[in-house]
Amino acid sequence: MSDPKPSGRAIRQFFSPEVGIGAARYVISFAGVLALGSILILAQGEDPVRAAALIINGAFGNTVSVGNSLRWAMPCMLTGAASIIAFKSGVINLGIEGQMYLGAFTAAVLGSFVDLPPTVHALVCVVGAGVAGVICVIIPALMRLFFSINEYVTTMMMNFIATLFCDYFVVWVIMPITGITTVTVATPTISKSARLSTLIRGTSCSSGLIIGMAACLSVYFLYKFTIKGYELKQVGENLKFAKTGGVDVKRTFITIFILSGFLGGLSGGVEVTGGYYRYVSGFSYTMGWEGIMIAYICNNNPIGLIFASIVWGALKTGAMSIERGTSLNRLTVNLLQMFFVILVSINYESIYHYFRDRAKRKREIRQLLASRADEEEGA
Amino acid sequence: MFWDIVSTCLSPAAFAAALRLSCPLIIGSTGGCFNEKTSTGNLAYECFMLTGAFFGAYGSYLTGSPLMGSLAAILSGLALAVIYGLLVYHLNCSAIIVSVAYNSAAWALTTLLLVVVWNTRGQFNDPSIVSYENLNWDVLRKFPVLDMVFNNNIPMVYFAFAYAAAGYAVMYGTPFGLRLRGVGINPEAAQAAGINVRKYRWICLIIMGASMGCAGSYMPLCGMSLFSENMTRGRGFLCLTSTLVGKGNPLRTMMVALLFGYANSMTLVLSTYNMPTQIINMLPYVMVLIVLLSIGIKNFKGSADISGDTF
Repeated sequence: MSDPKPSGRAIRQFFSPEVGIGAARYVISFAGVLALGSILILAQGEDPVRAAALIINGAFGNTVSVGNSLRWAMPCMLTGAASIIAFKSGVINLGIEGQMYLGAFTAAVLGSFVDLPPTVHALVCVVGAGVAGVICVIIPALMRLFFSINEYVTTMMMNFIATLFCDYFVVWVIMPITGITTVTVATPTISKSARLSTLIRGTSCSSGLIIGMAACLSVYFLYKFTIKGYELKQVGENLKFAKTGGVDVKRTFITIFILSGFLGGLSGGVEVTGGYYRYVSGFSYTMGWEGIMIAYICNNNPIGLIFASIVWGALKTGAMSIERGTSLNRLTVNLLQMFFVILVSINYESIYHYFRDRAKRKREIRQLLASRADEEEGA
Repeated sequence: MFWDIVSTCLSPAAFAAALRLSCPLIIGSTGGCFNEKTSTGNLAYECFMLTGAFFGAYGSYLTGSPLMGSLAAILSGLALAVIYGLLVYHLNCSAIIVSVAYNSAAWALTTLLLVVVWNTRGQFNDPSIVSYENLNWDVLRKFPVLDMVFNNNIPMVYFAFAYAAAGYAVMYGTPFGLRLRGVGINPEAAQAAGINVRKYRWICLIIMGASMGCAGSYMPLCGMSLFSENMTRGRGFLCLTSTLVGKGNPLRTMMVALLFGYANSMTLVLSTYNMPTQIINMLPYVMVLIVLLSIGIKNFKGSADISGDTF
């Protein structure tokens, strides 16, 4: 149906229920988090306004804090991009954590045992990490492809296998070679040539941020402008249609897994070459899972992901500052983040439709009753 | 050296340790079986268990009775399960996202409660958290091996086996269990046969939440009398894996949980002999892959193929 006035259509589209629901989703979630956050903070005997001010100040107050916020946004972008690729194409990759560990381990090994010129070395580490991520995801991919085994269980199991595998290698192979006898399970520090350059002086914000943003943008362009991206999306949205339309479903499917795994591994590599400078057992502290949640928050939109990651990183840095400034625990913020995820994941559209349909039904019944009453009066 | 290790692995002490270590796994995974059979999509095992562990300690601390501690843990699991059910069944959240958020929130929630309630970080160790007393059976004392393996355990260990057996009886011996399995195999057909699918999923979710909470309360109340940050350390996921390996059959799941408990006790043995424990720890997860592969092998069509339906 064509509209005579395009501007009118645009305005109507802008105020359509879908957009309204989309906005309401975030407004309601944010309000819910503010309410619960105030309750949580008041329960611990602190002032919520002061805590919020401390979070914002701690996240964006000066150059160092901005740098730290961006540093924590960096892994979120990459893990988020990995989950966006998977979720958009209907693959549930819950193994990002494991891919991250295997990637980080590979980067740490390449970084400390291989000698290469500066830039090349860092590049080799990061790409090697990505390849390790692919190796970690290829087993679930093949199991899905050949035996139709649901990938969410297998990828989840690969998390544990990858983590334990890395720990095994670090404790039983690398630590004896290098003669490290510390309690922490860690590889030696990677050589200077393997480190990513620092982006903001005096902070840990490295050029990994650029890699992260580039990943988000390339995911955006892949889905928006390329045929391959369209095929990837189609496979997720309607498999039968894609098959009938002549998409090579098998190759597309394995591409999804490989891309997702590559980005997952990359995030681990960037963490090592641009953050920790070594592999430490248990370094990620649920970072891989956070990627899945952030991807969900930004509705699988890669551009939204950049902003969501920055907010996520800012909250992480801000949480440290409220722990310094008040008696609050930084986990309060962590809990609120999860609460936000749960609120955002509520399907407001179906609730809206439910109530709209109910109202419509009620109206119809009322009309029916009224018309019957009229008939009876007439008779 | 080698024979030393083998004899330690096969000693009654190792089996006794396996029995104790597998107790929370058995209780939790029996509840998980119900969850698995109705395919509720719930993966938040770790969350229920960790919260159960905290409330088990807290209930015992307040009342001085371990039984009340377990009750508090069950109630906490129940409450979380109800919230989960409301979110997933009535507000149409994605089950996976809610599970992931639950699991990530559990650590934060329990550590926060630890700070708020007891004002400590790391771990809280207090004699006011009363543990269960060991049961001592006179009958068993006459047989040395049985005495070492089965005697002197807390009541929860014996309860675990009874619970698994009861779970099996309910699932395979009652009309309720039959309908429940029907819901899992084909929800549409079950709905057509007049079964309220949502009701069955709710019941199973609640059973699962309560069992996982109860399983969580084992850890602070098994004699240590302490609660520490991230106390379960992935045992919730182990419950999930044993449920998956046992394919949702409570008795088979119990055997698998026992095996995992034994593997767990092996890590203690091997670490004293300075052997790699990571490989043994990996065993449960590799087993899940093997079991899934053995189920999936009959779907093999000779070449790679993608169809929408998986299992």
